[in-house]
Amino acid sequence: MKKNDEEFIIVGANYQNNITPVKKMALWQRWRTKPIVSIFVLAAITLGCIFAGQLMNHDPTGFYLNHLNEAPNTEFYFGTDSLGRDIFSIIWYGGRVSLLIGFLGTSILTLIGIFYGCMSGTAAKWIDQLLMRLAEMFSSVPNLLIVLLLLSIVGSPTVFSIAVVIGVTSWVSLARIVRSEVLQIKSSEYILAARSMGASFPQILYKHLLPNFVSTIMFMVVASISNCIMLESTLSFLGLGLPVEVVSWGSMLSLSNKALLTNSWWVIVIPGMFIIVTLFCITNIGHYLRNETNKKFSNL
Amino acid sequence: MFTYVSKKIGVFILFMFLLSVFIFTLSRLAPGDPLQSFYGERVEHMSMVEQQNARERLGLDEPLPVQYEKWLYNAVHGDFGISFKYRKPAIDILSALIGNTLLLGITAYGLVFLLAILLAVLCALHEDTWLDRIICKLGTIVYYLPPFWLGLLLILLFSVNLHWLPSGGAYDIGQSGNMLNRLQHMLLPLIVMVTSHLWYYAYMIRNKLLDEIRKDYVLLAKMKGLTRQQIVWRHCLRNVAPSIISIMAISVTHVLGGTYVVEAVFSYPGIGALSIESAKYHDYNLLMLVVLVTGALVVISSLVAQTINECIDPRMQEGVDYEKKR
Repeated sequence: MKKNDEEFIIVGANYQNNITPVKKMALWQRWRTKPIVSIFVLAAITLGCIFAGQLMNHDPTGFYLNHLNEAPNTEFYFGTDSLGRDIFSIIWYGGRVSLLIGFLGTSILTLIGIFYGCMSGTAAKWIDQLLMRLAEMFSSVPNLLIVLLLLSIVGSPTVFSIAVVIGVTSWVSLARIVRSEVLQIKSSEYILAARSMGASFPQILYKHLLPNFVSTIMFMVVASISNCIMLESTLSFLGLGLPVEVVSWGSMLSLSNKALLTNSWWVIVIPGMFIIVTLFCITNIGHYLRNETNKKFSNL
Repeated sequence: MFTYVSKKIGVFILFMFLLSVFIFTLSRLAPGDPLQSFYGERVEHMSMVEQQNARERLGLDEPLPVQYEKWLYNAVHGDFGISFKYRKPAIDILSALIGNTLLLGITAYGLVFLLAILLAVLCALHEDTWLDRIICKLGTIVYYLPPFWLGLLLILLFSVNLHWLPSGGAYDIGQSGNMLNRLQHMLLPLIVMVTSHLWYYAYMIRNKLLDEIRKDYVLLAKMKGLTRQQIVWRHCLRNVAPSIISIMAISVTHVLGGTYVVEAVFSYPGIGALSIESAKYHDYNLLMLVVLVTGALVVISSLVAQTINECIDPRMQEGVDYEKKR
């Protein structure tokens, strides 16, 4: 009878007593592997840009002609540039434009990339070959050069047109990855089943292909946000992107030639730091998304 | 052998043809008058009759395919039109500057891959130790510094404050033959070029190597008593070589594209700074030529890489399906 009791204890109602309790991990332990610092910093910058109107302590459109090229001090936290603008106030407004171009450009290139890749992956072999050769040709000319060509055609650039130009020129690598993913998924039985049931191409794309490769391309998509921001700032710096009046992190740096003459480091360093920190946070998050793959041990 | 070479040349010609059609259409599709690309601001001061005459003289009133045919005929004979900004044939301006760009680009390219392979091997040998982690973190940070910004910082530090190095140009006046002088001018641009590309390729090669050292032959080599260094340098690196070479072929575009920004920052007289200038002034003829030349460089390098790869690893030859033969 006693024995039965013991057995009863093991499998019975109080079975939990014999199972080693799984420790619920503390919050910091669960978040340790996640890029929590990057998320936090990125959120801070984004919020700062959204609430730019509340953060600024000077008129962002004003030119403080008595305070040209002042080093950071208690009145102008980040100093002023050679036009007399308060860098602390305009940097948040500039962030709005830079981040907006990053997101807009990325969404455009993602749309084109996914569509092109899916088309190439699902179409007949000769169309696939043709499309891939075209993409190869497109990518053989440096991205910046095509952007230059397009921008010189567009004429006076706006935020939207720059985002479109960047998006239209940077989709090739994404399209390639999507294509190779689609080629893998395409041969699986459930696509065949869907096809034989008469599903149309957009239906298959939306219901079957997209959910299956979305995790693979997520890293690329996140990385291309930072690429777009980088490209915009490069263009604006070169004087081909946004004009100086439209404040972005890149167009703030287009004044740097004057800053070099007067040796005013803050005009160069501060907007640059904002760009780098943002890019780095975005990249870190992207890396986290990619590193979900399993690890193998070294034979060395 | 003959068919092999002629096939490669055929690919090259086809590619250049498509690229030129693409660029030609793009530049003629520009909103506004294509006359503007020939006369710039002056178009606004012309009367209607003058504009019409100019259009007829340049053949702009003909349909696009006819225009393209003419352009192609001239291009084959070495006439790429006149750069309206410099008022000289576009090809003359380009040929004067391309040497500088090639010098900068090739030096940077060589340095990037030399250092990338060294770094990748170092990381692979010390995988997941503090050394690997520090190199990875540092590399990522340096890679994400915008190249133009890094250039500005270097100018600020070494030229403006320390007066060690010149801030721009390819050489001082009258010193074009002096190698030391050229090197001084090239040092800062080179640093920027190398840092902005190095980690991207080093990381790629590192990951390839890490995949390689997980293969079975490494165990065999280890049992033979080879040291870790010997295994990586002699066996793994050689097996990774084809993919390194194809990475190198693709990277020509990136490194060339990188010179453009760097040249603009350091006002280094090369085709990069030229293309940015011509984009600013809507100098289409010059810009088209730069795009074509760049495209040609890239295609040639990728064909060369393909050929080398096919020599190293015959499985990569097109038309020969080794899987089926077995």
